[in-house]
Amino acid sequence: MRTEDLIAELAAAGPAAPALNPRATGLRMVMAVALAAGLFLLIAGPRADLAAKLVEPLILVKTLLPAMLAFIALPLALRMMRPDTRLGGRALWFALPAALAALLWIATFVTTAPQARFADVSAFSLAECLGLILAISALPAAFALRLMRRGASTRPRLTGALAGLAIAACAATGYSFFCTQDNPLFYLTWYGTAIAVVSAAGAALGGRWLRW
Amino acid sequence: MTAKTTDRDRDWAAALAAANAGDGRAYARFLQSVTPVLRGVIRARGRSLGPDQQEDILQEVLLAIHAKRHTWDPAQPVAPWLYAIARYKVIDAFRRRGAGVHLPIEDFAEGLAAPEADPTAARDSAVLIGQLDARSAEIVRAVSLAGESTAEVGARMEMSEGAVRVALHRAIGRMARFAKGERE
Repeated sequence: MRTEDLIAELAAAGPAAPALNPRATGLRMVMAVALAAGLFLLIAGPRADLAAKLVEPLILVKTLLPAMLAFIALPLALRMMRPDTRLGGRALWFALPAALAALLWIATFVTTAPQARFADVSAFSLAECLGLILAISALPAAFALRLMRRGASTRPRLTGALAGLAIAACAATGYSFFCTQDNPLFYLTWYGTAIAVVSAAGAALGGRWLRW
Repeated sequence: MTAKTTDRDRDWAAALAAANAGDGRAYARFLQSVTPVLRGVIRARGRSLGPDQQEDILQEVLLAIHAKRHTWDPAQPVAPWLYAIARYKVIDAFRRRGAGVHLPIEDFAEGLAAPEADPTAARDSAVLIGQLDARSAEIVRAVSLAGESTAEVGARMEMSEGAVRVALHRAIGRMARFAKGERE
C-alpha cells in the first residue's frame, strides 16, 4: 500500500474520538475508589471513636498522609496519558510524604519501648490491614487502567504504577476511618506495603494494557 | 503556549484541530505535511533498514497518529506531541523487527511456494501459523500462502487495508519470535 493511499484512507475516516479530558477521567477514577471505600465503610462501619480520635495529630496523620500521596500521584498519572509528557521535577513532590513518613517512623521507633513497638502485629491484624486496602483498591485500580487506555502514554509501566499508587492511596485514606491501629510503626509500614503492592501491580498491568 | 510557535506549528495546529472536528481535507493536508518530517526521522534512525521497511514503519507511525489523534491538547504545540508518538512507535517498530532480523513477506511466500522447498520448513511454517490467533492466521495464509492482496483480504474480512497490513506485520513478527523458541 502506498503511503499516499493510506493518508487518503485515514483522512476519510471522519472526526476523531472525543478529545482526551484528563480532568473528567480523574473525576471518574476518584468516584470509583470513593464508591469502593464508601461501600466498605457502610458495611464495616467507621471506628466508633472516630470523632474523638481524629483530633489526635498522630491519628490524623494516618488519614492525611495517604490523602497527600493521592493528591500528588493522581495529577501525575493523568498527565502521563498524553504522549508528550515528561514528569521531570514534578516527581520530587513525592519526597515530601516520603520524608514525613520516614521521620515519623524513626521518631516513633526511638520513643517507643522495645516490647511495645510491634506489639500490635499479628497475622490477623496484618491480613486485615493489607487485605482490606488491597480489596478496596482492586476494582477501582483496574477501572482506572481501563480508562487510561484512551490515552497514549509513552511510559506504560510508569503510568500504570502512578495510577495504582493514586488509587491505593485513596483507598488507604478511606480505610483509615475504620482502622483502629494507631501505632505509626504499624500503619506506616503496612499502609505503605499495601500501596506499594498496588503500585507494582499497576506497573505490571500498565505494561500490558497501556501499550498501543 | 510557552514554546516559541513557528508558522509550521501554527499550520499544524490549525489543520489538526479542524481534522479532529471531522474536516477530512484538513486532515489529509496535515498528514501530508508531517509525512516528510517523519520520513526523515525514520531514515536517520533506521539506516540499516531498506526503504520498503522504512516506509512500512512510517505507515505504522501514521496509523498511530490516527488512532491517538484525540490525545493532542489543542492548547499545546503539535510538534512535541507528534515527535513523542513517532519516537514511541519507531522504537517499538525497531524492537519488533529485532536487530538486523528482516523477514520480508515476499521471501517468506516464495520459500513456501517453491516446489523444491524443504517439507519440514513448510511443516514448521504451518506449526508457526497454527500458534497464531485465528484472525492473524487467516491473514497470513491469505496473503503469504494464497497470494491474495491486502486489499482483497481487507474487503473479505471487513478490515481496512491499513489494518490488514499492520495485523500481517505483527503476525509475521510473532511467528519470527515463535521460531526462535519464545512463547507469547
